[in-house]
Amino acid sequence: MSSLLNMNIIIPDVLLLLFPFIVIGIRLFCDFRSKLPWRIANFGFIAIFVLLNFIPLASGEGRFLISNWKVDDFGVLMREVLMISAILGMWLSKDYFEHGADGKPQMHQIAEFIGAIAFATFGGVTVVSACDLLTFFLGLEIATIPMYALTAWNKKDQLGSEAATKYILMGSVATAFELFGFSYLYGFAGSLHFSEIQQAVAAGTSPLLWLAVLFLFCGIGFKLTLFPFYTWAPDVYEGAPTPVTAVLSVTSKATAIAFLVVLVFGPLAPVQEQIAPFIALLAGTTLFVGNLGALKQSRLRRFMAYSSIAQAGYIMVALLGPATMAKTAIIYYLFVYAVSNYLAFFVFGIIGHHREETFASLRGLSKQNPGIAIALAISMFSLAGIPPLAGFFGKFHLFFSGASTGHYAIVAFAVLNNVLALFYYLQLIKSAWVDEPDGHLTPLRLTKRQRSVIITLSIAVVIIGVLPFLSNNIFAGFNY
Amino acid sequence: MDTILFNLIWIIPLFTVLVGAPIPAAHPRFLKTIHAFSATTVLAIVCYLTYRVYAMSGIPADEAAAPLVLRFFTDIPWLSAFHSHYIVGADGLNMLLLALTAFIVWAGILVSWNIKGNQKIFFALIQILATSVYGVYMSFDLVLFFVFYEMEALCMYLMIACYGSGKRDYGGKKLTLTLAFGSSMILATLFGLYFEGGANSWNIMELSKTTLPMDFQMWAFPLMFMGFAVSSSLFPFHFWSPDGHSAAPTAVSMLAAGVMMKMGAYGCLRVAMFLMPEAAKIWLPYVVAFLIFNVVLGPFIAIRHKDLKYITAYSSISHLGLIFLGLAALTPIGLRGASLQMISHGFLTGLFFATIGMIYERTHTRDITEMGGIMRKMPFLGVGFVLAGFAGLGLPGFSGFIAESTIFIGAFQQDSTLTRIVTILAILSITTTAVYILQTANRMLHGPLPQKYESLTDGCLREKVVIIVLVACLLFIGICPGWISEMLDASIAPIFEKISAATQPAISGIGG
Repeated sequence: MSSLLNMNIIIPDVLLLLFPFIVIGIRLFCDFRSKLPWRIANFGFIAIFVLLNFIPLASGEGRFLISNWKVDDFGVLMREVLMISAILGMWLSKDYFEHGADGKPQMHQIAEFIGAIAFATFGGVTVVSACDLLTFFLGLEIATIPMYALTAWNKKDQLGSEAATKYILMGSVATAFELFGFSYLYGFAGSLHFSEIQQAVAAGTSPLLWLAVLFLFCGIGFKLTLFPFYTWAPDVYEGAPTPVTAVLSVTSKATAIAFLVVLVFGPLAPVQEQIAPFIALLAGTTLFVGNLGALKQSRLRRFMAYSSIAQAGYIMVALLGPATMAKTAIIYYLFVYAVSNYLAFFVFGIIGHHREETFASLRGLSKQNPGIAIALAISMFSLAGIPPLAGFFGKFHLFFSGASTGHYAIVAFAVLNNVLALFYYLQLIKSAWVDEPDGHLTPLRLTKRQRSVIITLSIAVVIIGVLPFLSNNIFAGFNY
Repeated sequence: MDTILFNLIWIIPLFTVLVGAPIPAAHPRFLKTIHAFSATTVLAIVCYLTYRVYAMSGIPADEAAAPLVLRFFTDIPWLSAFHSHYIVGADGLNMLLLALTAFIVWAGILVSWNIKGNQKIFFALIQILATSVYGVYMSFDLVLFFVFYEMEALCMYLMIACYGSGKRDYGGKKLTLTLAFGSSMILATLFGLYFEGGANSWNIMELSKTTLPMDFQMWAFPLMFMGFAVSSSLFPFHFWSPDGHSAAPTAVSMLAAGVMMKMGAYGCLRVAMFLMPEAAKIWLPYVVAFLIFNVVLGPFIAIRHKDLKYITAYSSISHLGLIFLGLAALTPIGLRGASLQMISHGFLTGLFFATIGMIYERTHTRDITEMGGIMRKMPFLGVGFVLAGFAGLGLPGFSGFIAESTIFIGAFQQDSTLTRIVTILAILSITTTAVYILQTANRMLHGPLPQKYESLTDGCLREKVVIIVLVACLLFIGICPGWISEMLDASIAPIFEKISAATQPAISGIGG
């Protein structure tokens, strides 16, 4: 097996690995108020994202430092999703630190914060590039541990500390489950390498394999907030700072779903049909519970937590399809989901700076800030899957993939659940559009950067789905 | 050239939204003029194209569009990930429905001239809604069709909840969620149409050439039919319509009752019955049983109501029941009657809601017991209302008569006892319709004039134009229906052929 280090395709990964060290390192030699780390972070992330677009799809496999590493088309597109999430998360955190946790700007902290986001992103990249269980596990941990730190960022906040404690405890249990699953898988196959495991699985199954699958799904269930392991999500989403919640809901979810995609279409591909009922069950219960939980929420971030639990259920539906369709659907949906979710979190972040983050503080938004109200409606309708917004096409992809193997029952269930989802998204839109303004709420003021980000994301949500050249070109040459 | 114009029908409204976006709120007149101008342009284009479709009836259509006779056929690859194409085309039926929509949108924009609240957003939403309806009638690709079909949900809630009256949040939610429920049932079956037929295409013409497996049809047809029936308020899915219509602003009621409820019936005919004719033959006789509620009981409920919009909503429910009676008859005359009724009812209910909206703007109540003698103060609006009522109860000379009598003839030809019984009941229920319409007109328009209405004025020129145009359309269809039936027959023939060629055991009907 050749080393990848002398190939061009590895450059973005190496840069991404070095990136957090550079950003945090530079901060050591800078003045307290210097904007240099922020500028370098901005430049670096965008440069890596641009570089990614020059990688030819379906590239190669080899050694990268201590791990077996591969760069394929799914991996490259996942890297792009993760990078978009990281860039948007970085911009959102600028908002957060400029305003500060208690009204004082804390821009000096931003370098470490961005460093942690970059580590989490690199973890996601590792998961999609891994060719063996060890790298796979390392990736998952690199993706998760920075999130623990980020959740507890605001150390004076009691809610945040509670959320972080909960998250760490739950996360560690999940890790233990996964490790247990991995060990059984190793015991079953006698190898850590994916292709050898796949051969062993294809040769025949045994109870040991099913036990391993069960533990692996339990473990990832925590991270992907699947039923019945979703209970930590609302508390953590509410307790963490807004940018962390956003990163958590996109990067972590994307990493976890990539983990499942790699697993189901990699080592477990020969038994995909056998575990399909299990996936369908998890998908159905998760989206139902998420939708049901969101119905009665009155706090914005708890609401988003349940909404993203439901979205995880929808994504699971796609795993029932054949590999190409499922991967296409999931990548496309993650793009759409990232954009819609970040749009919502940008709006909530702005509201959170001036008001309490509840439905009640959205009142009169359409009269005081019609622009924000429109952006919020676009984001919510997109998450609810109403055409012609991107969310609809994302969900259509997912259901298309699920239905292609004849799983009409779960697709029909998921589609009908959309009505339930539409109800609570309408509930939020109602607060912003219908309820009369509260006397003591003053109109929100936006900075130029906030306005441009919100406008860009809104336009993206409106046109990503309907413009064919975007969705067609993203997947041009997508074959496995 | 005509093809480009045809595609512009749905692009112009969206373009108007973009043009209207940067206009400052300080110039509402300018904004409204732009929207009215755009609606008039679309109306002119659609009228011209309708004439073209009528004139082209002898010329063979595009080969690619067989077996349907489609004009202005456009086929562009759209979303390659699931082989969806942008396919639009016009045959007689959808061209006439497009014309109906263009008239109603034009009237709706003129009627909501004085709407309160943020006018820019309101008119933008109306235009998006118009795009959605135009798109549904134009598209022959199921994904495109569904995208347009579901788009209404985006506008309806905001329009009703922000600009409506009464229980607007409740009404808006009820309407949006019920319609979304219907469209999710449709979406659930669409995937099956794609994968089960073996055609791997969303193209309605391609799909109609294949025969779907029977066990799939047997569950998919009722699901899809019900999904479409929700938006046409077929019993037991009618409950959203009275609350939704009464809470909605005038233009939205006009659009919802006038054209959106037809989208369901159109979908039943064009998608459900056309693509799954075998199951349609088996299931439709049972649908007739549900129609007893719509057609027979609907008017009775309308008699008991005092709110003008509730009365009109129940009258719409009963008229839409007649459309389904025509569809379920499965005879060419029945289908033609159903299509005629779609168009005729669109105009008449548009006129109904328009006059009600204008009267409500002046009296600030829709309760007929509080009104009286309005004819003396507003003769023009009063006459408009009465004419709409006459058209609704099927007075010869208006379009309602032609449409309803065609449906009854078509339904009676159906060799099933149940259908015949329902048809007879439906004919009798016209009397009930006459009761509530005359009773309403009597209470509202005649009798003593309450003191507070002394200062009311009749409609202004803008409102008069709307009423005159809609009445003219009703009369036009009623007096010379020949050319419309000609256009309809050309597009119904392939659908009926497909249904009659269905090889499954002939229907036994219930008790027939």
